[in-house]
Amino acid sequence: MPEFNPVDYAVPGFILLILIEMLWARKRAPEKYEPRDTLTSLALGTGSTVAGALSGGLILALLVGAHQYRLFDIGWGWWAWGLCFVLDDLAYYWFHRMAHRVRWFWASHVNHHSSQHYNLSTALRQTWTGFIAASFIFRLPLALAGFPVAMILTCGAFNLIYQFWFHTEAINRMPRWFEAVMNTPSHHRVHHATNPVYLDRNYAGVFIVWDRLFGTFQPELGSERIRYGIVKQLGSFSLLWSVFHEWIGIVQDVRAAPWRHKFSYMWREPGWSHDGSRDTSDTIRTRWAAQQAASSPE
Amino acid sequence: MNSSGLVQLAQLGGSIFAVLLVWQLTVRLGLGGDVRIKDERHARELAADALCGFDAVDLVVDRAGIGALLRDAAGRVMLVRRHGAQFAARLLDSHAFTRLDHNFLTIATGETRYGGVTLDLGDKAQIWASSLRHLSS
Repeated sequence: MPEFNPVDYAVPGFILLILIEMLWARKRAPEKYEPRDTLTSLALGTGSTVAGALSGGLILALLVGAHQYRLFDIGWGWWAWGLCFVLDDLAYYWFHRMAHRVRWFWASHVNHHSSQHYNLSTALRQTWTGFIAASFIFRLPLALAGFPVAMILTCGAFNLIYQFWFHTEAINRMPRWFEAVMNTPSHHRVHHATNPVYLDRNYAGVFIVWDRLFGTFQPELGSERIRYGIVKQLGSFSLLWSVFHEWIGIVQDVRAAPWRHKFSYMWREPGWSHDGSRDTSDTIRTRWAAQQAASSPE
Repeated sequence: MNSSGLVQLAQLGGSIFAVLLVWQLTVRLGLGGDVRIKDERHARELAADALCGFDAVDLVVDRAGIGALLRDAAGRVMLVRRHGAQFAARLLDSHAFTRLDHNFLTIATGETRYGGVTLDLGDKAQIWASSLRHLSS
């Protein structure tokens, strides 16, 4: 792996900001933090660094391998850094969208969403099973295009650092121009919400323009009280259950399903079932829309 | 073990120490609060939040507000219980375990991780206990 990892230098800043937000919560809204939830979030963050260290070498080898077949020699110019950062963020958008729409990727990503709280500690709920889910494949096109591997990984690290600060309810809205282009606390609150109108929206990492471009943008509405977490809340603070519950669910479903449906339990959207007995975000949204239409005056 | 491995181990140790420190601070600062179900309206809202379209026609709230049972027109019964500073809900089915002890009704969903809860339902405990025995799977 590259010697310089910006995330290592950012961690003390993360902790400091969490402490400041905790003091804010104590004064304004103590229920915004919950000790056991925070412990689970921070333990998930720590565990993800161990998982990253274990799988990092393999991911590096795959990226270097892909770089051997590069289309261009892009090099280290300043413009390459800018372009790499933007394209890496585009790759992140598609990774993130797939992480919500394909159960195999969702199984790895769900632990980031399983907290019913939305605070800076939630940002550290990172995956332990990203390598199993093969989420690194979304970065391979950058290596194949010819961006140096160290540049791709550095841009990815800065992307991750940017994503920390907006996991908060302490900031309402940023200036209008900033909200138009960048991902912000308001946009990302929508992403973490389970309200039907907000499900599967705002996948952006750094630039919210991807959601605007690909039709997945949803602004935060003043009329909706946001509820955070996942559609079926875990109801548990267990660390290992947070990490593995969806993987266990996949194994159970694949075992029990008729042969022709087994793969669908891995590749279809979360909540899909062959007999239609479960809810997906689409069925929830449809039911909600019908309910809204029925209750609104002519 | 080489020096890079030792540095990584030291980093991990430092991280675990920081995690425990922050967790202790959340406890000492009294974060989390003491959330309760305030009234029947609150219980209805929590049930509708948990399952879009769940419209309770009958319900009972624990006297201390730590949980509630709600039934909709289709006969589905939902348990809402406190989970930290939030609430988590489950639809109950025939696998739910119930035990009645005077005004106290203990309900376990069959999901180990979600666990169970004992609700003080007053004189409604017996009625709800009896209806829960007839749930379909």
